[in-house]
Formats: sequence, C-alpha cells, structure tokens
Amino acid sequence: MNAKDYYTEHRRLVLGVFSVIFLVAAWELLLTYVFPVNPFFFTKPSLIAEAFKEQVQGAKLWHDLAISSRAFLWGFSFAVIVGIPLGLVMGWRRRVEYALDPFLTAMYASPLVALAPLLIIVFGVGVLGKAALVFLLSVFPFVFNVFAGVKSTDALLINVIRSFGGTDKDLYFKVILPSTMPYLIAGARLAIGRGLVGIIVGEFYAASEGIGFAISQAGDTYRLPDMFVGIIILSVIAVVLTEAMRRLELTVAPWRAGEEVR
Amino acid sequence: MKLKTFCTEHESFILGTGFIVILLALWESVPLWYTLPKGMALFFTTPSKVAAAFQQLLINGEIEKHFYVSAIAFLAGLGLSIVVGLPLGLLMGRSQTLEALLDPYVTSFNASPRIVWLPLMILWFGIGIWSKIVIVFAGAVFPLLINTYAGVKNVNRVLVNVVRSFGANEWQLMKVVVLPNSLPYIIAGLRLAIGRAILGVVVGEFFGSSQGLGYMIASAATNYKVDVVFVGVAIFMALSVILTLAVKQLESRLASWRPETAKTF
Repeated sequence: MNAKDYYTEHRRLVLGVFSVIFLVAAWELLLTYVFPVNPFFFTKPSLIAEAFKEQVQGAKLWHDLAISSRAFLWGFSFAVIVGIPLGLVMGWRRRVEYALDPFLTAMYASPLVALAPLLIIVFGVGVLGKAALVFLLSVFPFVFNVFAGVKSTDALLINVIRSFGGTDKDLYFKVILPSTMPYLIAGARLAIGRGLVGIIVGEFYAASEGIGFAISQAGDTYRLPDMFVGIIILSVIAVVLTEAMRRLELTVAPWRAGEEVR
Repeated sequence: MKLKTFCTEHESFILGTGFIVILLALWESVPLWYTLPKGMALFFTTPSKVAAAFQQLLINGEIEKHFYVSAIAFLAGLGLSIVVGLPLGLLMGRSQTLEALLDPYVTSFNASPRIVWLPLMILWFGIGIWSKIVIVFAGAVFPLLINTYAGVKNVNRVLVNVVRSFGANEWQLMKVVVLPNSLPYIIAGLRLAIGRAILGVVVGEFFGSSQGLGYMIASAATNYKVDVVFVGVAIFMALSVILTLAVKQLESRLASWRPETAKTF
C-alpha cells in the first residue's frame, strides 16, 4: 500500500526518473545487442561513462572549462556593468528611451552571433574575442529587463517617497531597485543562455582551447564519447545556472515567475 | 509654432530615427577625423562601403543565391518544429502522464544551448542542408512546444467542463476550447521560435555549409572582406526585425481582448 501512496504523491518524479532510465537503458541495450555500434558514428552510455570518468580524472577538461569560464565571466561582467545603468537611464528618462529604444530593439532582435567571425578575427582567438561576443549577446537582456523593471515601478510609491521628503537615494534604493530586482534576475537568466551560445560559437569558430573547442575537436576526430561528455557537461552547467536563476526569481518575486518582457 | 507641436507629437519617432542616423553618420565620418593604424584599417569599413558592397552583391546575384539556401533551411526547420512542437505541446498539456514522462527532456534541452549539438549533427548528416535543418529544428521546437503547453494548461477549467458536460469528446474539446484559447501562447512561442531558428541558420551555415548567408559571412570574414560581413549581418538583422514585428502585430491583434499576458520562456 505504501508504495502506491508514494506513487500517487510523487507521480511526476517517478515517471520522469523512469523515462530517463528507460531511455538510457534502451539506448545501451539496443546498441549492444541489436545493432552493432559503429564507433565513428554512434556511441552508447557505457562508453560515454567511461570517457567521462577518464576526462574528469584528467587535467584537460578542467583546463578547458577554466578557459571558457574566464571568457564568459569577462563578457558577462561587462554586460552587467553596461546593461544595468543603460536600462536604468532608459527607464527613468523618457527622451533617452525614445532615442535608444528603436536601435537597441533592432540589435536585440537580430542574431548578433552573425558577427562572431568578424569579432574573432579582429580580437583574436583568445579571451578577448570570445568575451566581446559574450558581451554583445548578453548585454541586451539586461538593458531591456532593467528598463521594463523601472517602467513597472508603481508611480504611487514614488509619489509617497517624494511627499514624505525622501531623497533621490531613497527613491532608488527603496522603490526602484526592489521593484526592478525580479526583472533583473529574469534578464540574467536570459543573458546566461545567450552568453553560453556566444562562448560555444566563438570556440567552434576558432580556438585552441576551451570546452566548445574540445567538443568540436572531438567531433572532427570521430571521438564520439568524448564529444558527448563535453555536450553533457555544458548542458548540465547551463541547466544548473538557469535553474538557479529561476529559483532566485521565485524567492525574490514569486508572483511573476516565468514571465518575460520580450 | 506648428513645427514645435509636430516635434512634441512625434518626439519618439524623431529621437529614435535621429539617434540611428547620427550613429551611422558618426561611423561614416570616422576616417575623416581619425587615421586608423594599418592593422585596424584592414578590419574597418563604413556604411557607404557596406551599401556599395550590398548593391554589387545584389547585381551579381550572390545575395539571391545565398538567400535561397538560407531561406529553405529556415522554412524547413521551422515548419518541422511547428509540425512536431504544436501537437506534442497540446498532448503534453492534456495528458499528465505524457507531461511527466517528457518533462525532464524538455526542461533540460530548453535550458541548454542546442548549438552544442552542431558538431554531432554535422557528423551525422554531413555538410549541407540536413544538418542545418536539424539544428534549426532543435532550436525552434522548444519555445513552440513549451508555449503551446503553457497555453493548454491555462485554459479555463469551466469552459472545459461545460463542453465536456454537453458530451464533447477529446477531439471536439481540442477544437472548440483548447486550441482557440492557447492561440496567443502559440503565437508568442512562434515569435521566439523564429529568433531561435534564425540563430540556428546563422550558426549552422558558419560551420556546416558551403552555401547560404551565414557561409557568406564566415568566408568573407576569413578573407577580410569586412563590408561583405556587414552586408550579411544587416540582411539577418532586417529579416529578424521584420519577422518579429510581423508576429508581434499578430500577437497584439489576437491578445487585445485578453487581460493577462502570454507566458514566454
């Protein structure tokens, strides 16, 4: 009886875990017993696990990850430093909004990743080129989300602060910042996704180290298990970061989780 | 006086276009007030040179040729993602079992950049249209699926119960209540999917193609033809903006009567 109760209570979890286990098992069994594996074109979970173990123990994977995250952090930090003030000014000053909105919207809507080859060629295959790409891709979510956050600030609250003789500092720290916070976190979540695309594309295009380079090199040399290891690690990082942001969003502003500005 | 009222009425338009015009003019005038060092001059171009390159590529048919290749990959990938994402989203919204079974994959794929699969796709499908279509599909299918799902989940329970009480079967329920009610969500998903699909075309053509606008950009960059790079980027920009605006128009028309905004992921 107990097992049944457990099932009805955690139905989602049980079914989800079951479906993942089923898929992995089916993949492994099919390629072991039904079709013989052609190691140049396909691989199976046991081989991936082996490659995973080997790579985790080796130094190259960690080195690649460090290289990629350094470029990511540089680009991302600059996106934060530039994007948040820009969004604040756009939200607070109507004329600035009018002037910048069409231009920035066009930039945000367009696939700026198309500039990747140019950026890599101009800034080189090192940290700078990749960081520039990450910055370019991840700055706009910050701008537009902070912008929307400021816009959504309750005018009544602003008037209250003003009437009670609050200074500009009070206004910013007590009203505008708190009401912008959830938008900012949502923006960060989007920016992480876009920044990761930037890193990957930059490293696919031209690099000598980094996790994206490791994946594309493994592909070029038909080392499929290694390639899957790279893909899985990168996906796990992406999922963890995005999920962390979503959790943060839920704690900061549970009433508007999952909503996005544009 | 008249000029002044005109200015205040169209302030946003004037400031918006004015900023872009000033930016372009500044860019154009850079060589006039600053001589670039030799190394940098190689990477520099001006809007007029980009326009000239655009005209030339248009005349010799280069753009047309590449555009067709990209457009086919875009349409095929997006079409495929609609054909798969829409029904799957509807089913996931209606069946809790299916939702629980597929949720781990949908969530993790949606959160991770699909571009990482590109080398594998190139390995499996070769350089050419198929690897591109698959990567476009992989990018575009999740926003569509998730938004359709969210739309179905958001359907008014009362309406569902009413239609059920009058003896509708699942198919009729779908047609009469579920689909019309989730349409705004689906359109919002489509808008996101278009952006992802264009990204897929660009990156797919950087690496897995010998034709198409993305290939044109990548090969121009390696040959230091910076003006051609900007022609390609400008075309992608224009297409994205036009398509996004078109879908937004559709969205606001459909959503004008509903108070809550569609959830987008």
